[in-house]
Amino acid sequence: MTTEQSERELAGVGCQAPAEQAPPKIIVIDDDSAICLACRKILLKEGYQVQAYEDGLRGLEAITTWKPDLVVVDLKMPGIGGMEVLSRVHEFDPHIIIVVITGYATIDTAVQAMKCGAYDFLPKPFAPDPLRLIVRRGLEHRRLVIESRRHEMERELIKRRFVSFISHQLQSPLAAVHQYLEVLRHLEDSPETAAKRREWLERCLKRIAELEELIRDWLTLAKAEERVLVAQRYPIDLRPILQGILNSYEQMAAAEGIRLEARLPEQECLVWGNRHCLNVLFDNLIVNAIKYNRPGGRVSVSAQPLGDGQVAVAVSDTGVGIPEKYRRFLFEEFFRIPRQEGEAKPGTGLGLAICRKIVTEMGGSIEVESEVGVGTTFYVRLLAPPETAEGRRARLEQTA
Amino acid sequence: MNPSGKTILIIDDDADFAEALGAALEAAGFRVLRARDGHQGLKLAKLEAPDLVLMDIIMSERTEGFFAIQEFRRTPSLASTPIFVLSSLYDAVADFRVAPEAGWLAHDAFFSKPVDLEELIRAIRQRLGLNAAVREGTG
Repeated sequence: MTTEQSERELAGVGCQAPAEQAPPKIIVIDDDSAICLACRKILLKEGYQVQAYEDGLRGLEAITTWKPDLVVVDLKMPGIGGMEVLSRVHEFDPHIIIVVITGYATIDTAVQAMKCGAYDFLPKPFAPDPLRLIVRRGLEHRRLVIESRRHEMERELIKRRFVSFISHQLQSPLAAVHQYLEVLRHLEDSPETAAKRREWLERCLKRIAELEELIRDWLTLAKAEERVLVAQRYPIDLRPILQGILNSYEQMAAAEGIRLEARLPEQECLVWGNRHCLNVLFDNLIVNAIKYNRPGGRVSVSAQPLGDGQVAVAVSDTGVGIPEKYRRFLFEEFFRIPRQEGEAKPGTGLGLAICRKIVTEMGGSIEVESEVGVGTTFYVRLLAPPETAEGRRARLEQTA
Repeated sequence: MNPSGKTILIIDDDADFAEALGAALEAAGFRVLRARDGHQGLKLAKLEAPDLVLMDIIMSERTEGFFAIQEFRRTPSLASTPIFVLSSLYDAVADFRVAPEAGWLAHDAFFSKPVDLEELIRAIRQRLGLNAAVREGTG
């Protein structure tokens, strides 16, 4: 039950289907019934939902119950005036857009209204067009304000979660090591305890190594975020990079009976990138392809210039595959596919987040195709170097 | 070896933490059971009726511990089993705005990870009504 629950939770992250957008709601308040009716008619024709009131108090009441997006209000009315409506509305909701209608269009009253939070003003008499225009602009303004507030809240939430999550990731291994050491300190010296002692010390070292890896990955990610990693780009031949990584994992793959294949072009395969970044990127993808493979499986790496200024690289495995429901979370920081006990592999959950960051920073893209039980392929697109005189010179310098 | 005659169930997804904690509890004379998640813990608890449960509240990067405690409380045979919550992240627990004294959470004590073993063992003994004599007996 709990797994399902958290999957649902996860599936809900950032993927809320946009609700069918209802037309914006507008309230018009003007004691002049002719203006009230005219505004209502014009705005209804624009497709908005409109309510019109000739009385300020009734208008205010409607604002608190109907919650409009925008209010058009006459500044000078008997009883409650426009200026008071203005302040009362913003007490209720500071993001409702208010357009004031003013019969005595002096700069002063307009300025005063704007100071009190009005978005814009319409001097009487006015034609339909300025009304339409101001309303449209006001609604667009409201949409942007709401959107940026939402983004800010989302960012805040992600930041808060990230901090508490990373703390947990750092604290768990520390707590385990701490607890082992405390038990070891009280452990009597005897032949029976010697094996335990050794085993626990090994476990401590392993947890510390994992912690170090996590910190290293996290720093790489932070650097990628600061655009430090890809600040300097050169034309770089992908073939030696890919071949080098494959060679370095030859033994690790052989131990699992996994075959490593490279299908690389005869001629240079240049991309516009940073050597360190490219190494980190393909190291991550190739290690994953080995790690999540099956015994006796195959990892194949291919690279191909596309001739349209892009280079395509594919890293495929014949492994367990990635269930469709998890694919869209794959590149998220700390996302790890829930696995059965015994199937879990060590890892920080940051590898693919780093890959995406690097690829994006280099102006490329990364995509995944997968079939459960058959295998997974990561498709990376990178930019070929712009063939300028400078580029050629840099290339010559690099290869020299 | 179980000189205290008491069984303690550790529910924690960190196998190393559970191993170290379990070793300390065994040395203190308890019988120790281990489970790696709330689901497994509940199953084991129904079979073995432990005298006390030590529960990690943020397991598998999630809030599973909360649900597990709820399930314990809903199970008649386990409703009054003392549960001590262990967590390295009590701040995050507080984020869920569930006060420890809130009825449904109803755990007995909270211990921050890493745990002060002496303090924990003292609290367990006290909760289980074990006198000092048992402690002497375990050596």
